[in-house]
Amino acid sequence: MSHSSSTYRSSTSLRRRTALIAGAALAAIAMLSACASPAASGAGGAASETGDPVTGGTLTYLEYQPTTCLYAPGTGFYPNGGLLNQITDKLTYQNPETLEIEPWIADSWTVNDTATEYTFVIRDGVTFSDGTPLDAAAVAANFDAYGLGSEELKLPISEAINNYAGSTVVDEHTVTFSFTQPSPGFLQGTSVIQSGLVSPATLALPYEEQCQLKNIVGSGAFTVSSQVVDKEVDLVARDDYDWAPANSEHQGRAYLDEVKIIVTPEDSVRIGSLLSGQADYVRYVQAFDEASVEGAGFDLYAPQTRGVNNGLFLRPSNSILQDVDVRKALQAGTDTQEIVDTIFTKNYPRATSVLSSTALGYVDLSDQLTYDPDKANELLDAAGWKAGADGTREKDGAQLSLNVFVAGAQPLSKQTLELVAQQWTKIGVQLNVKPADSGTIAADIKDAEKTALNHSMVGRADQDVIKSQFHTENRDVILSNDAELDALLDALASEPDTDARNAKVADAQKYIIDQGYAIPFFEEPQVYGAANYVHGIGFEAVGRPSFYDVWLDKK
Amino acid sequence: MTITESQQAGTTSLTTPTTKAQQAWPETGQQTTEPPRTDAGGRVTEGAPAKRRRRIPSIGLILAWAIVAAALLWVVAPGLFTAYDPISGVAAEKLQAPSIAHLFGTDALGRDLFARVVHGAVHSLSGAFIAVAVGLVAGTSIGLVAGSVGGILDAVLMRVIDVLLSIPGLLLALTIIILLGFGTVNAAIAVGVGSIAAFARLSRSEVVRVRRTDYVEAAFGSGARLPIVLLRHVLPNSIAPVVALAALQFGVAILAISTLGFLGYGAPPPTPEWGLLIAEGRNYVATSWWLTTFPGIVVVLVVLATNRISQWIGGERA
Amino acid sequence: MTRYLTGRIGQAVLVLWAAFTVTFVLLQALPGDSIMIKFENPELGLSPAQILEVRARYGIDEPAVLQYIHTLMGFLAGDFGYSIETGTPVLQRLAEGLPETAKLAAGGFLLAVVLAVTIAFVSSYTRFAWIRGVLLAVPSLFISIPTFWLGILLIQVFSFQLRLVPVIGGTEAQSLILPVLTLAVPISAPLAQVLCRSLDAVYTQPFVAVAQAKGASRQWILWRHVARNALVPTLTVAGLTFGELIAGSVITETVFGRNGIGRLTEQAVTAQDIPVMQAIVVLAAFVFVSVNLIVDLLYPVLDPRLAAKGRVAV
Repeated sequence: MSHSSSTYRSSTSLRRRTALIAGAALAAIAMLSACASPAASGAGGAASETGDPVTGGTLTYLEYQPTTCLYAPGTGFYPNGGLLNQITDKLTYQNPETLEIEPWIADSWTVNDTATEYTFVIRDGVTFSDGTPLDAAAVAANFDAYGLGSEELKLPISEAINNYAGSTVVDEHTVTFSFTQPSPGFLQGTSVIQSGLVSPATLALPYEEQCQLKNIVGSGAFTVSSQVVDKEVDLVARDDYDWAPANSEHQGRAYLDEVKIIVTPEDSVRIGSLLSGQADYVRYVQAFDEASVEGAGFDLYAPQTRGVNNGLFLRPSNSILQDVDVRKALQAGTDTQEIVDTIFTKNYPRATSVLSSTALGYVDLSDQLTYDPDKANELLDAAGWKAGADGTREKDGAQLSLNVFVAGAQPLSKQTLELVAQQWTKIGVQLNVKPADSGTIAADIKDAEKTALNHSMVGRADQDVIKSQFHTENRDVILSNDAELDALLDALASEPDTDARNAKVADAQKYIIDQGYAIPFFEEPQVYGAANYVHGIGFEAVGRPSFYDVWLDKK
Repeated sequence: MTITESQQAGTTSLTTPTTKAQQAWPETGQQTTEPPRTDAGGRVTEGAPAKRRRRIPSIGLILAWAIVAAALLWVVAPGLFTAYDPISGVAAEKLQAPSIAHLFGTDALGRDLFARVVHGAVHSLSGAFIAVAVGLVAGTSIGLVAGSVGGILDAVLMRVIDVLLSIPGLLLALTIIILLGFGTVNAAIAVGVGSIAAFARLSRSEVVRVRRTDYVEAAFGSGARLPIVLLRHVLPNSIAPVVALAALQFGVAILAISTLGFLGYGAPPPTPEWGLLIAEGRNYVATSWWLTTFPGIVVVLVVLATNRISQWIGGERA
Repeated sequence: MTRYLTGRIGQAVLVLWAAFTVTFVLLQALPGDSIMIKFENPELGLSPAQILEVRARYGIDEPAVLQYIHTLMGFLAGDFGYSIETGTPVLQRLAEGLPETAKLAAGGFLLAVVLAVTIAFVSSYTRFAWIRGVLLAVPSLFISIPTFWLGILLIQVFSFQLRLVPVIGGTEAQSLILPVLTLAVPISAPLAQVLCRSLDAVYTQPFVAVAQAKGASRQWILWRHVARNALVPTLTVAGLTFGELIAGSVITETVFGRNGIGRLTEQAVTAQDIPVMQAIVVLAAFVFVSVNLIVDLLYPVLDPRLAAKGRVAV
């Protein structure tokens, strides 16, 4: 069953949009390849491989953290996504190189002009691993759950789907989704890991049950053969798998017979295992280990996460940070180049906007993000913060002292924040870097007084990503009290025209930097290491591994 | 916080009747009638016919005191030993191997590791001191009261100690840290709570032993009241093994605080606490070996030294 | 005897209940809660309104007294509840982890005994003062090394440099070698110290001199008198070492990525998975109480003189 581009029908507006996306993506690739040249030199995907793929073998893959809840909409967490990406398929495929949306489980689709109605034609012959067919009804059931949630089953709503109203199953192969407002991000939303398609039997279970791997039945190229909770998941290739994305060169079953995903949290053990030949492929090579991995003749892969950059997010509801000049001063007093040079590597390009340069709708704001301690000092002086006895500025008896939690999910968060604290002492600002248990963090992070700043990032290859991070109804990292920001974000999330949408994303980025809501540090990659006999390593658009094309050339 | 439980083998766990010290320890020879004494390490120290000990302190002991003295000097006057700032480094000089300029090398942010170790002494040693103080004060008080008063109060207090022992020490310590918040002092308290049981049991068994001696019986006989007897006779005569345990716990506490750092419950940055230095340097074990090795050696030396001193207090001097 | 046993078991149950209650109170006082940790994870992207709804559904804000009664009744009925982090029954998680930890702990303890006995006997048997000096310093050195540090160094040296033992993908036995060694080292230290002191003490006893005078060989004396007398204090330490085995397994399992009760403890604390923490405490307290009960009951068996003295215990 072959899928040529002729089966790829779309409305005029979509075609135009696709071209635009492709244009933006080309620019992005140019930049990506410039930044990620070390990764590309290792092995740049199946195309650059020499020799024919070999079927068979077992891949040992070391994961940094155990998975948590595997209910698809909550699987943005990389270990979850890395696992779910192997066992579920998506309605559409986002080409990680062009960022274009291509057919996968959907053969084709149409979108109305206002992006309030999407109709998908579902591929024939796809089955879940429990034997039930993946037809229009199954697809409808998935998006009803992800888009509407469920009171009864305690299912939360996916952040990848906005303004969802409902589905209509037209026939066995056709399903229509409708939206209360324009939802231009939905098409891309069908390609993300959070929209992984699972069997109706899985969807009928309550949330707690859907969290568990044993209950997840997908249609992916691998199925779970055994699991030791929090330690190891063994996957086996599905022999009858025959529905890879239409544009994929590789069709049919996966090359590998088996994948062993082993959780190995100790950095030194994970890297040591790779270098001593006990493992083939590892996730999360820390920046300080990159040199030893490359030095030993292993390959590094550093796919970008293409979203909101790793950085500090400043909360305007904090009594000190309510002054925009103080926020701007902190922005000017942070030397992001020094952070990148000292703690990270060339795989972590310095940020030039709130969004990554590989994100859709990115604009270069590097002019406004230069390190200027003099300007910072002037701003703080003008704002009434005078140098105190111990070097920390004071105003009305209060010290210019701010708290931030070490973010366990961010690479080398503690060192990064320590360095920022070191830089800020030069402008008379005290940054208290607080390690804490997750309970204390959960309790205090919603309080702008206790937690003035937030260290985070979010990856998704769609313009909506900026809304996910900043909107009061999404992650709301700055605990926003700014209605204007929400309005800007709402506008970009419901703009059907791509040009206009990108312009609105640009407005939002400028506004966030102007208001000093963000101090972006770097464009975060996911860094992987692999032995040189592992070929065909590939990633989805935001750097989660796909094992479908992987093959081993182990002598 | 963990080794504590086994350090003290003087008594057994759940049955702690007044005669327990005697029951748990078999006489080591037919001729002995006194129960053998135990010292801090749970080691049996000889009764009256002790082996002839050298009166001159051994080289090891002198070295041990020298190490402890050096560490104390770091606490009092770190500026004498290093001119570098332990908190702020020069980012460009990151991860340099040990050299004349940087004796222990530099860390990932370009801070001088030797400066961090020297300035860290105050955090680590005060942390260990607080941990021992918590265990010593709380544990010894419980042990003293239980051992002197006896009866139901004794039984109740010892059950309380059993409860303390039965909850995994590490889990208890982590919970206490979460409750109190992260920090050197709080970590020290968490570690100290874990050693209460050891101190309580040891001091109780000592008190029970001393109470049965003739002079204490005589003191009671001459009408002295319990608190007076406790203070004037029981405490001074039972204190040596407890002090020895305290010295031993000092080293144990440094390690325990380090373990908390490993699990991510250490002092907040940029505190250069020793345990945290080892715990965080471990990630660089293959690339920058000095980061974990030098603080590790310092801790091993200090712990060895306190152990040696503990032995001296508990055994040789007596 | 029966009365003694009943009393001892009664006390054990009392200690168990107290451990349960103390833990319950401590855990209730923790800041935040597992629902908050799990559902306010930004990866889920839930809005504040949705989170409030989830909290209401889970009934997490029920009064503490009611929760205490429910939990206690559950435990008495053998129902440990569900892990909030993974949604699986707590009992299942414990059952999965227990065999792993049991293997590790048993191996670690046995090796520790072997190490301790070797150190003690060689040091007391040797005629060379320097060997004795070195061996007697070994226990002190053993407890001076942080366990996690030892584990990482052992992996680096034996697995990554010398490539003798794999840490990933080896057989069951291979995967146990380094963790067992890591766990055994700190535990062997107090055991060795107790043994050394016991041996010393016995050697200085007059009856040994008498036996020697009568022409008994050193070996004979060592085995006949000394070893027997050293056994009881060793057993005492062994009972108390249990707590350390648990703490050691937390560290060892974390370093080696093993999936046992220790790692479960660490994860439960991180996620504030209260049902799991509560169950671990009860399990640990149960084993602690049982081990010590057995040790106490064993004394008279091992040492008839104690039996002869009668059971004066309360």
